[in-house]
Amino acid sequence: MSHSRALFIPVILGTARMGRRSLHAARLVTEELGKCAGVETELIDIARLPLPTNDAGEAIKHAEFSAQITRANALVIVSPEYNHGYSGLLKHVLDSCLKEYIHKAVGIVGVSAGPFGGTRVIENLLPVMRELGLVTIFWDVNFSSVQRAFAEDGRLLDESFTRRVDKFSKELIWMAKTLRHGREQISLD
Amino acid sequence: MANHNKMMCPRCRVEMNHHCDKLVYTTDSQDLGQADPGLGGIIQEFHTRPKCGSGALRQA
Repeated sequence: MSHSRALFIPVILGTARMGRRSLHAARLVTEELGKCAGVETELIDIARLPLPTNDAGEAIKHAEFSAQITRANALVIVSPEYNHGYSGLLKHVLDSCLKEYIHKAVGIVGVSAGPFGGTRVIENLLPVMRELGLVTIFWDVNFSSVQRAFAEDGRLLDESFTRRVDKFSKELIWMAKTLRHGREQISLD
Repeated sequence: MANHNKMMCPRCRVEMNHHCDKLVYTTDSQDLGQADPGLGGIIQEFHTRPKCGSGALRQA
């Protein structure tokens, strides 16, 4: 199969909190990924997914979200760090799929108001990614002091982040292509 | 335990690539009888279609 086929790499914004600054980070990553040749992307805002909370797991699968993840060759998760962890809603959404993730690449973008840029939430997400069958890359993007990285209107104030997102994207694209080849061509048997 | 019949893509009619086995633990009484006693769970096979790129699964 030709690898000229476009890759679909959606960006999942992992919080529904009002006033979330992670939205600016997610928009920036989506915009920068969209500039990469051969990549199609879109922002998936978990606040807009009407999942019930009286059940969990694949029983509450959302048809559109499932279709987006099925189509995806890789994912980006943009997660703020709340009390050293990720939002409960992000886990609720991620758990609604399983087969859709298997042997696909994932990169994680951490966001925090403090100096550590979501490093703790990224570490907490890694074992979850592994159990979902996703393959993590070793580049992260850490938006520390996010209130200084973006203006209130979402304008990027620190241009160094575009270079970090570019490095992260290149690694993610490589892994996405490699895993697509593996899923399609390399047999377990 | 493994299912050695090639899975065929229902749309493309081409052989799919079996690229993953996942061990799934279950509390469902119907599934418990099918669990691999040595592994303690059910093996699900994941297959991807080389022609159209989408995936499918089945129980091993």
